[in-house]
Amino acid sequence: MTAELVQHPAEFGLGRVPARLTPAATTTSVCGFCSTGCGLKIHLNEAGEAINLTADGEYPVNLGMACPKGWEALTPLAATDRLTTPLLRNPSNGLLEPVNWLTAMGAFVRNFKGIQEQHGPAGISALSTGQIVTEEMALLGALAKFGMGMRHLDSNTRQCMATSHTAYKQSFGFDAPPFTYTDFEESDALIFIGANPCIAHPIMWQRVMMNRRSPEIVVIDPRRTETAMAATLHVALRPKSDLVLLYGLAQLLIQRGALKRDYIAAHTQGFAEFEQFLAEFTVERTAQETGVAIETLEQLAGIIADRERVSFWWTMGVNQSHEATRTAQAIINLALMTGNIGRPGTGANSITGQCNAMGSRLFGNAGSLLGGYDFASASDREHVARILDIDVAKIPDGPSLAYDQILDAVDRGEIRGLWIIATNTAHSWINQGTFARLRAKLDFLVVQDMYATTETAKMADLVLPAAGWGEKEGVFINSERRFGVAKKVARAPGQALSDFAIFQLIADSWGCGAMFRAWRSPEAVFQLLKRLSRDRPCNFSGIRNYAHIDDFGGIQWPYPDLSADLAVPDPAMPAKASSANGSGADAASESTSDTHRRLFADGQFFTPNGRARFYFDPPRAMPELPDAAYPFLLLTGRGSSAQWHTGSRTNKSAVLRKLAPTELYAELNPADATRLGVRSGDRLRIASRRGQADAIAFVTAIVQPGQIFLPMHFAAVNQLTYPAFDPHSRQPSYKAAAVQVQAV
Amino acid sequence: MVASSENFPLLRDLLADQQRLQTPAARAAEAFEQSRTTGRTSAVFAALIPLSAPGPGEQYAFEVALDACSGCKACVSACHSLNGLDDTETWRDVGLLVGGDERHPIQQTITTACHHCADPACLNGCPVLAYEKDPVTGIVRHLDDQCIGCQYCVLKCPYDVPKYNSRLGIVRKCDMCQSRLAEGEAPACVQACPTHAIRIVTITTGAPLDAHPRMKSAPQPGHRGADVSSLQMAESFPSEAGRTRLSGFLAAAPDPAYTEPTTRYVSRRPIPPSLIAADASELRVQPAHWPLVVMLTLLPLAVGCQLIATSASFLPSWMVASARDLTALIGVSLIAGGLGLAASVFHLGQPLRAWRIFLGWRTSWLSREAMVFGPWIVITALAWLRPQLAPVAAGVGVLGLFCSVMIYVDTRRVAWRFSQTAPRFFLAALNTGASASFALGFAPLHTALLLAFGTLAKLACEARVFRPLDEAEDDAPLTPALSTARILCGPLRGWAGMRVAVGLVAGLLVPALVLTATIPQGGAIVVFVGVLLAELTERALFFRSVDAPKMPGLPANLSRRS
Repeated sequence: MTAELVQHPAEFGLGRVPARLTPAATTTSVCGFCSTGCGLKIHLNEAGEAINLTADGEYPVNLGMACPKGWEALTPLAATDRLTTPLLRNPSNGLLEPVNWLTAMGAFVRNFKGIQEQHGPAGISALSTGQIVTEEMALLGALAKFGMGMRHLDSNTRQCMATSHTAYKQSFGFDAPPFTYTDFEESDALIFIGANPCIAHPIMWQRVMMNRRSPEIVVIDPRRTETAMAATLHVALRPKSDLVLLYGLAQLLIQRGALKRDYIAAHTQGFAEFEQFLAEFTVERTAQETGVAIETLEQLAGIIADRERVSFWWTMGVNQSHEATRTAQAIINLALMTGNIGRPGTGANSITGQCNAMGSRLFGNAGSLLGGYDFASASDREHVARILDIDVAKIPDGPSLAYDQILDAVDRGEIRGLWIIATNTAHSWINQGTFARLRAKLDFLVVQDMYATTETAKMADLVLPAAGWGEKEGVFINSERRFGVAKKVARAPGQALSDFAIFQLIADSWGCGAMFRAWRSPEAVFQLLKRLSRDRPCNFSGIRNYAHIDDFGGIQWPYPDLSADLAVPDPAMPAKASSANGSGADAASESTSDTHRRLFADGQFFTPNGRARFYFDPPRAMPELPDAAYPFLLLTGRGSSAQWHTGSRTNKSAVLRKLAPTELYAELNPADATRLGVRSGDRLRIASRRGQADAIAFVTAIVQPGQIFLPMHFAAVNQLTYPAFDPHSRQPSYKAAAVQVQAV
Repeated sequence: MVASSENFPLLRDLLADQQRLQTPAARAAEAFEQSRTTGRTSAVFAALIPLSAPGPGEQYAFEVALDACSGCKACVSACHSLNGLDDTETWRDVGLLVGGDERHPIQQTITTACHHCADPACLNGCPVLAYEKDPVTGIVRHLDDQCIGCQYCVLKCPYDVPKYNSRLGIVRKCDMCQSRLAEGEAPACVQACPTHAIRIVTITTGAPLDAHPRMKSAPQPGHRGADVSSLQMAESFPSEAGRTRLSGFLAAAPDPAYTEPTTRYVSRRPIPPSLIAADASELRVQPAHWPLVVMLTLLPLAVGCQLIATSASFLPSWMVASARDLTALIGVSLIAGGLGLAASVFHLGQPLRAWRIFLGWRTSWLSREAMVFGPWIVITALAWLRPQLAPVAAGVGVLGLFCSVMIYVDTRRVAWRFSQTAPRFFLAALNTGASASFALGFAPLHTALLLAFGTLAKLACEARVFRPLDEAEDDAPLTPALSTARILCGPLRGWAGMRVAVGLVAGLLVPALVLTATIPQGGAIVVFVGVLLAELTERALFFRSVDAPKMPGLPANLSRRS
């Protein structure tokens, strides 16, 4: 038995591994959970099957580290409830029953075409994901809109990144997060707004901990999160008062004379109007509306004013709000007016959520046309049609409805068929009860997933078995605009197919296969997308192929094909090796310039006149304020680093289950707990005007009095959430709902 | 066009393609590329382990920088993956400490593995010497090939470290990746911590808890040399002066005086001792260990029968016994003893290795118990042939029961303290022995009186467990004693009620009814079965309601609940 654990030295720079897990080879792959985009080294047996993995020590993103989800990335593939054949609901007994692919395709085409005949081409719609590879997203977007004639397609990235997308697009002229992860290390002050990287992005927090400049770390968050614990200053503002806070800070900076007037004059437009608008945000008003002491506001303004390199980082606390886009832009405004952009350790930086939210934003073909083009522009449509060699008339002349609007159209009976790919709407959609009700209004619901056990798959008429991460290949684009390759290192169970293959099959069955002849493999699509990107800010036409990305440890966009006049690194000298080991000063500096690049160093933005724009609007109260009947404000968020979203994958790992709460718990302030007569461990019933959820009380002063926090990974939570949406990004506001709490 | 199998070659191609993987040969070039790099054995990790072996009076220890630990839990996953553990097996745990006040609430993640104690309770308790403390490194190793799967170490360790693996029928645990350390490679958890919160240090053993760990390879304060990799953490390498040892071991952790854990938790921020574990209020019902329940009911029954037989021969005036009665009593004890010992074997994950159970006799009460009850069953068999040997069997049996008591007392669990365990086991012998005698029709009045006394005395003893309920405020923190009381009135309320009811009916009511001839003589059998049932239930409650100490855990996590 001792022999089971005896370790042998493994090759491939792995150190010692258990003898039975000695790899015959290794390969690299980018993790498929979050947007950090960590490099994983996959250990393979003689048959080329993955048997284990370690974090990749040479990858410039994670430098040999991974969070527990990454370490467990292979486990969900072996889950016993993997879907191995298509399932079709039998009308006679109402059960989902296994069928073969031919039957499944027949049902797909017959039902969706039937709906289109009756209700028009826009009678069917699709909800996609940020979890599949870019090539799959592009094929899905093209197939759905150009091939199947859908008008409306959206993605679950609407739930996490739509705000950043809209904010950047308006302010910078393109959806362009400007930063690189080295900015975490090179900053003098890191301002985290509505972000908890310790839990949500542990490997980004690793980079913060590598900062040697003794930085101020400010966390602006109503909760005293793990990150707030580790910060030098925690600003515990009232929930959803961040827009006031940011405007108040801008006003304080103006009063201090901390503006970079030269920069503003040279590279921005609209500041005069913004300055005028800010006049009413006195420090007294700001303090009163945010609940933050005047001294703290002054201290925070001082940090931004005095530190040489200030970087601003935001995540879902900002993006999920009723006034999210303006809040994100208030952050961008602060960076612009203080000249904290384009230099090392600066930036208005949105930390993305899903592994390929960035791919979805560029190539999802939902809000914008493939490659960040504009559906409404005739010249853009023609350009794209020419590259794809399709009839321009197939391209819709306007953007899709957003996720919530698609569901509204279902409610109105306009959309009767829905195809959901790799997302779990029945769990994650805000005010979840609505979706259950809308299901009855759908004539046909198709769900494409790895598991038939997700809340959404259980409701479907047809379930298509998908291969998961690790069973297919393609590229992800991470938070810092870095392309990374995900590889096929495991066999999909039964008849499960990659989403790419499923889309090919559907194209063929639908009768539009000819349109996608050139889309024969993920790498062929990658070449197509390169051509689409050529004249865009996201130009990556200089990337030769997947191997090129691998050799360089991922490649950030832009990476134009200008090999003659740009210093494209010599492929014989991979830059990534030096970045991890620091083998020499020259190699290190070279690798930094090539491996880690940020945008806007020249102050030129992607707007027509090259200037960044100031956007602002008066703050509005949150739509559902606590009142006498529902006196608590419900906050939601990530509960642990071991859980991913609705848990359809992470719940499959026994190790991850040990590392996370297994039952819904509610953080409740001790003062409220005393008033309610509740102790830690007691059962609570939490109710909103929309539904109720039972949870175990966890009494802690981490949450402020009058607030209650629930981790979003449990299905009951979205029974409670209030369906408010940002008017610009249509992103749902998950983190503000009025609830009542009682012991049961 | 709807698909049919004739016109759908694409499906066949796609299904075939989906199953195709690039073979290692095709990846050879790639692999060659990677083998040139140092990867996980790089100098980065070497800075987190000592350069040289510990000297005399020193040993290796984990050091955890609490400021750097942000709760990502990568250490647990990496340990699992790099050590090739079973799907559900983990050797490292993380927990959470919470507290502070309204203005400064505190939450602190705690990562914890084996503490490689200076005086390891697991090692001391092991009956087969399946643990050894490495004389040089001080690493407490578990010898998997020696383990018989008795899980006594699981009960002995106050930190819930040894984990039973039911597939293998043995316990396994963290060995500080000693084979990696031997090669200058960092342990899995050390390699995997994104903020370098865990490292291996050399400590002086036997030193008071506030002694400074010696980090032979620690970078100098402010060291920014060119050879320092970019991976080095700014925050987790404070100067030695910046590493403040916590006073004591760690808030909310079990008392370190018992086993002298060597893990050093350091922090530059004060960690108030008032912090509590996030799962402190959780009532954790423990496993029943049914084979042990059966064994610890039948062995007292056997010894009880022998004691009554003995008292009959010593006090003939008090109890007039026929030779046949004595033989019957000893016969019962022989059957019960045999079944009890047989039951204990079912508790072992590797019963075939159990013959070595005496090896740990110097320190293990489990070895001693086996060494007494082994010969005892032989003596019992002889006594059945020659009843005059009954006192010898009874004497040895009492000694055996004393060892049984000490097995549980030695775990230092509050609910298993001597004043609880000894009366329970010995009164169980009295009650079951008396009920057997009663059923055999042997001195019914005397044995009924004995049984009545034993039943009341034992229930009174068990009732003391509930005293903390009266003393504690409603919102008092959960002490071990309070935990046991709350489990018995909470999740195990039904079982606890049944134990009292059956005990009273079988121990008092039915004997009275039989003696007064209210019910037929056959009711005596009901007495025996009922008392046995009551005792079995009590023994199950004894195991299930015990306070099992452990390191701080996570809130609302039921995956470990038994």
